[in-house]
Amino acid sequence: MMQVLAFGLGASFAGRRALDGVDLSIEGGVTAVLGPNGAGKSTLLRCLATVLAPDDGSLLLDGMNPKFEPDRIEIRRRLGYLPQHHGLRGADRVFDTMDLLAVMKEAGDERERRTMVFDALERVGLTERASDSLDDLSGGMRQRLGVAQALLTAPRLLILDEPAAGLDPDERRRLREILTERRQRSTVVISTHLTDEAAHADGVVVVNEGRVLFVGSPAALAQRAAGRAWAQPDAPIDTVRASWLQADGTHRCLGTPPPGATLVAPTLEDGYLLTIG
Amino acid sequence: MIDQTRIDANWRAITFELDAPVPSRTERILRRAGFSSATARLVAATPALRRSWAAALAVVVLIGLGAAGEDPANISAMLVLAPLVPVLGVALAYGPSVDPVHEIGLATPIRGLRLLAIRSVTVVAVAVSVLASSVLVSPAANSLAFVWLLPALALTSIAVGAMTFTTPRRAVAGVSVGWAVLVVVVQTATADSLAVFGAGMQLGSLVAVVIAAGVITKRHEAFDRVSP
Repeated sequence: MMQVLAFGLGASFAGRRALDGVDLSIEGGVTAVLGPNGAGKSTLLRCLATVLAPDDGSLLLDGMNPKFEPDRIEIRRRLGYLPQHHGLRGADRVFDTMDLLAVMKEAGDERERRTMVFDALERVGLTERASDSLDDLSGGMRQRLGVAQALLTAPRLLILDEPAAGLDPDERRRLREILTERRQRSTVVISTHLTDEAAHADGVVVVNEGRVLFVGSPAALAQRAAGRAWAQPDAPIDTVRASWLQADGTHRCLGTPPPGATLVAPTLEDGYLLTIG
Repeated sequence: MIDQTRIDANWRAITFELDAPVPSRTERILRRAGFSSATARLVAATPALRRSWAAALAVVVLIGLGAAGEDPANISAMLVLAPLVPVLGVALAYGPSVDPVHEIGLATPIRGLRLLAIRSVTVVAVAVSVLASSVLVSPAANSLAFVWLLPALALTSIAVGAMTFTTPRRAVAGVSVGWAVLVVVVQTATADSLAVFGAGMQLGSLVAVVIAAGVITKRHEAFDRVSP
C-alpha cells in the first residue's frame, strides 16, 4: 500500500482556486474524502492521481514527487484512478476498452492482458458483458466498469472519484466488498458527498471550500456532534446550525442546544454538517 | 505430482482466450502488417482516432473533388487548404473533447506526447497519403504536388506546440486563422496565389518546425496533465 503525504497543497481547476493549504497523511485502508459539491474533492483526487499539478505545496507518494517526470511515471505504474466523469461510453466493446487501458498501463503481453482484464471484470461481475458495447451497459454497470479499469495491474494506490454514483444498493454493497478486499493491499481514497458511504471507510477527510476541516475516523467525526444534536417537536425559531423534519414528525437540530433539550445520539451526518458549518 | 494451481491458471487462461472477442478488422490488418498487439490495440481501439480518420479523409476527398480538372483557381485552393488537413487530424485525435477516456489515460504511465505522436502519425499518414495521391493525379498540379508538405509539417508542429499552452481546439483554431491570414497577406502582396509556397516560405516552415520541436520538447509534460 502506498503512503500519501501532502503539505500545504494548493491547486486551481477550471480557472478557480479549488484547494488551499491541504495537509494530509494517509497510508493503507479506505479513506473517504467527504464534502459538498464544489468543495474541492475532485481537485484533491486529481492531484493525488498526478493528473493535475498543484500550484503550491508538495505531494509525496511513496516518497516520490509527481512534479518530476520519472517519479510521476513510476507512481502511475502503481496507481488505479477513476475520475468522476470517466467517459466510458460509446460503441466500443467492453473488452477492447479494458484491453486498451491495460496497454496504456504497460500490462504485459496479450495473454497476460487478457487474464488481467477478465480478472478485473470478474471482480465487478461484468465477465458476461465483455463482448457488449459500452453503450449497452446500464449507468451502474459503466460505473462498475470504471472501478474494474482502476483495478487493472493491482494498484498500490486506488483513487476513485464518486465511485458509488449511480449504483443501486446491491451494487454499492458489491463496491464496498471490493474496497474492503483492496484495503488489505492498497491505499484506497474515494470521494463522496454521501455520509452513509463515508461511514464504511477507515478514515474520513472533510473538505469544504478547498480546505481540510477534519481528518479522523468516522466515529470521531460523529463524536463532534456529541451534546450538539437534539430533537424537538416544533421547528426551531432560534438560530441553529442546521435542522430538518424527521419521519417521526420531530425536528432534528444541530448547534448549541437550548436548556432542557432532548439530546440524541450523534450520527456521522450530524458531525459532518456541524463541521462544514 | 499435479500442480492444481497451475492447472487452474491454465484453464482460466484458455477460458479467457475463448471468451475474448475477436479483434476488429483494423486491428487484424495492423497485426498482419507487423505491429505488436499492444500498438495495434492502441491505434485501432481508440474511438477518437476512427473519428479523426473519417473527418480527415472527408476533408481530403472534398479537397480532391475541388481540384478535379485543370482550373488553376481550384488547384490553388486545394494547395492552400492541404496543409490544414494534418492539423485537423491531430486536433481530432487527442484531447479531452474527443477522447472519452482522456483523464483515465492521463493517469497511466504512457507518456501523453507518445500517445499524441502515435495517434497523430496514424491520422496524418493516412490523410497525407490520400491527399498526395489526389494532388498527383490532378493534371495541372504535378509540379506543385509536394510544395504543401513542409508548410503542413510546420503548421502541425506549431499546433502541437500551442497545445502545450491551450486546448487542442483553440490551438488548431489559432493556427488555422494564422495560416489564412498569412495566405491572404502573401497573395495580396505578390498577386500570386501560390506565393505562399515559395522558397522563402519553405525555409520559414523549416525554421518553424525546429522552433516548435524545441517548444514541444521543453513543454511535453503538459500532455501528461489536465488543463488547470
